Amino acid sequence: MRILTLTWEFPPKITGGLSLACYGIVKALLKKGVEVDLILPIRENLYFPLRKEEDADLLPVASPKGEIIHEEFKRKTLRWIEEIPSAYKNRRLIMRELLGKERVFDDKILNDLLQILHDGWLFDDVREWTISAIEIARHLDFDIIHAHDWLAYPAGIVIKKISRKPLVAHIHATEFDRAGGPGERRIHDIEYLGLQEADRVVSVSNYTAREIAEKYLVDPSKIRVVHNAFIIEKVKEKKRLFKEPTVVFVGRITLQKGPDYFIEIAHRVLERTKNVRFIMAGRGDMERMVMERVASWGLGTKFLFSGFLSRNEVAELFASADIFVMSSVSEPFGIAALEAMSMGTVAIVAKNSGVAEITRSTFKVDFWDIEKMADIIVDLINNPQKLEEISKRSMEEASSLRWEDQVERLIAVYSELITS
Amino acid sequence: MLYVIFCFHVHQPFRLKHYRLFEIGKNLNYFDNELNERIFERASEKCYLPMNELLLNHLKKYEGTFKISFSITGTFVEQAYLYRPDVMESFKEIARQGGAEFIGETYYHSLACLFDEEEFIHQVNLHSTMLKREFGVHPKTFRNTELVYSNRVSDLVAENPNFRVILLEGTEKILKDTSPLYVRRSHNYEHILLFRHYRLSDDIAFRFSDRNWSDYPLTAEKFARWVADLSLSEREGKNLYLVLYLDYETFGEHQWKETGIFDFMKKLPEYLLKYKHISFSCPSDVLETLNYEPEVLSVPFPVSWADTERDLSAWLSNPLQWNAMKTYFEILKKVKEKRKMELMELARKLSSSDLYYYMCIKYFADGDVHKYFSPYERPEDAYIYFMHVLTDLEKMIEGE
Repeated sequence: MRILTLTWEFPPKITGGLSLACYGIVKALLKKGVEVDLILPIRENLYFPLRKEEDADLLPVASPKGEIIHEEFKRKTLRWIEEIPSAYKNRRLIMRELLGKERVFDDKILNDLLQILHDGWLFDDVREWTISAIEIARHLDFDIIHAHDWLAYPAGIVIKKISRKPLVAHIHATEFDRAGGPGERRIHDIEYLGLQEADRVVSVSNYTAREIAEKYLVDPSKIRVVHNAFIIEKVKEKKRLFKEPTVVFVGRITLQKGPDYFIEIAHRVLERTKNVRFIMAGRGDMERMVMERVASWGLGTKFLFSGFLSRNEVAELFASADIFVMSSVSEPFGIAALEAMSMGTVAIVAKNSGVAEITRSTFKVDFWDIEKMADIIVDLINNPQKLEEISKRSMEEASSLRWEDQVERLIAVYSELITS
Repeated sequence: MLYVIFCFHVHQPFRLKHYRLFEIGKNLNYFDNELNERIFERASEKCYLPMNELLLNHLKKYEGTFKISFSITGTFVEQAYLYRPDVMESFKEIARQGGAEFIGETYYHSLACLFDEEEFIHQVNLHSTMLKREFGVHPKTFRNTELVYSNRVSDLVAENPNFRVILLEGTEKILKDTSPLYVRRSHNYEHILLFRHYRLSDDIAFRFSDRNWSDYPLTAEKFARWVADLSLSEREGKNLYLVLYLDYETFGEHQWKETGIFDFMKKLPEYLLKYKHISFSCPSDVLETLNYEPEVLSVPFPVSWADTERDLSAWLSNPLQWNAMKTYFEILKKVKEKRKMELMELARKLSSSDLYYYMCIKYFADGDVHKYFSPYERPEDAYIYFMHVLTDLEKMIEGE
């Protein structure tokens, strides 16, 4: 079985959960003997033929004709599409060439897609990647197309048309989640098209499955839920930064992640005990607002901001923390909670998150229930033994949630499509 | 007579490095030595050395008729010894030449007067000790950091009876429609108050090279004529005091050499002294030359020379600045309570007002000025790293 995987993010490129989830899936698939042809948004017309487990880390690079160009991915030789602001290729030329070559390009959907992906910000890059992915896929032989999130849907839809192979659309987050409101109309259009055109839709949680059935009118009978897992790369030893119990927020400081709830929780806790430190890690459009509000309470050094943290530093932060609060307004999954748990950090998560559906050792609270979250934190601070116990359980639970088990469900979805 | 009082503000803070979250508790060096050295080097070459030489030549040439004053901070002197001892030597040479007054202030260029009065008095004493040691002088004139002044400042400064004169901003906020050229008495009768003439000071400091300014280009002759005209309205023979108070880096740094700023200063004394009713003066000379009884001025709320508001907003207008400064002074108190004397000097360096100025979030024209002076991309970064440093210091005090 060979899967054509399309994703905008894959390690070493990591900006959020998407990249880690794709990596986990691909690696586990390879382990189970499923082959993957991976197409990433790089400038060059190249793809990654992954055949064995190590390939998920090495990322061997091949030309569309199948000859290996590099044994492994190198930062210096390949560049992400968005790293070069103006295309070094003449987009129009390529377009014309492609449009002339293939009848399928008269297709209404493609024309609609190219209409949607007109100028501006990310859209130019997505458009360019879509065209190059189509070109590469033309030469490849695969059984299933697996497209992750809206950025990969345009390419997925067209490749399905050309290859007549089934399409799996994976949904990690919708534009409703990211924007915390209506969001960008063009992205909604693409999400709608992708989910409609897909033969199966894989959702990261029951919560998201309900969301897409309701908001994108996706036929519930073609939705399958496959929760995320977390790959523990290297277990970091607990290394305290403060002697006091430390409570952290890790994520983009933006409406979706509920940073404003987190600071209110901190404020309430600090009214009741001083034996605690709060750290907020991440950046985002609400950073200044949140920072000013916290400072206006005069909490001194009890509430700190980390500034930008690298992946490795995020792990270090979890290793130094006792409690992780994920007060997201909307969280399709919330892989950060698994990462926190894997390092023995107790997670308090929003009730309506994917991670809440599959974990037992997490505290599940409505994201707006500041009082309850504060109560839990104060209780844990006052009962170190309880904290320790739950910390241990969290760590065990995180290591028991393995991608190998989750991809079994994915393979079942693939098999279903191949046999039908 | 119209007395022209030049006062040059000479200061460099110890800027903090980007102290990371994970460096808390490691007690690493807080300061961006490389950046501090680079800035000091650049300013030495472009401003301190050439300008000192220019002024020294004037002092020699005009033998007692050319006078100036300096407010030099303790952190500046420390950095001069660290990075450019030759700059220190050139200031000492000016001191030896005579005709230059050295003014008292807080050693660390801090706003301690607002949060910790005992600390304020201590930092003023530290500074006086430094002036005695380095230049052999006992200051008679005081100017607070960024010319922050209120009645309370005068009360505190009065604890040291050497101080007889205070410099402050000649803003309409306190002077209403009266002229900044007339001195006043402080509310407690302890000090003579001299006012910075911000319009003429800023003509040199900000507008000198501004091609959109209707008076561009500013020549020494033109400026001298403006100064001479100031005395036209005085009919009772009262002496007038024109305080031109400038950042020293105006010369060569903010206004590049290419703008002709040095030429301007080279010629200015000659043009000013052409007028019989103009002479140069040091601030404390007012005690001898004053020929009228000044009116009393009460300043209940602090004023400063900064930004268009002339208040404390450059350092305390947003919660980040307030939490940082409040927390800092709380921690400084702990250093004293726990008698961690070995940490005093380090802790005091964090009192420099510049560190809070970098956290200022204000828009429009002032924002530009803040950005120009800040080593950080965003005010948030200034806050983040400052708080990390404070936390590290706090942990050291707690003995963790």
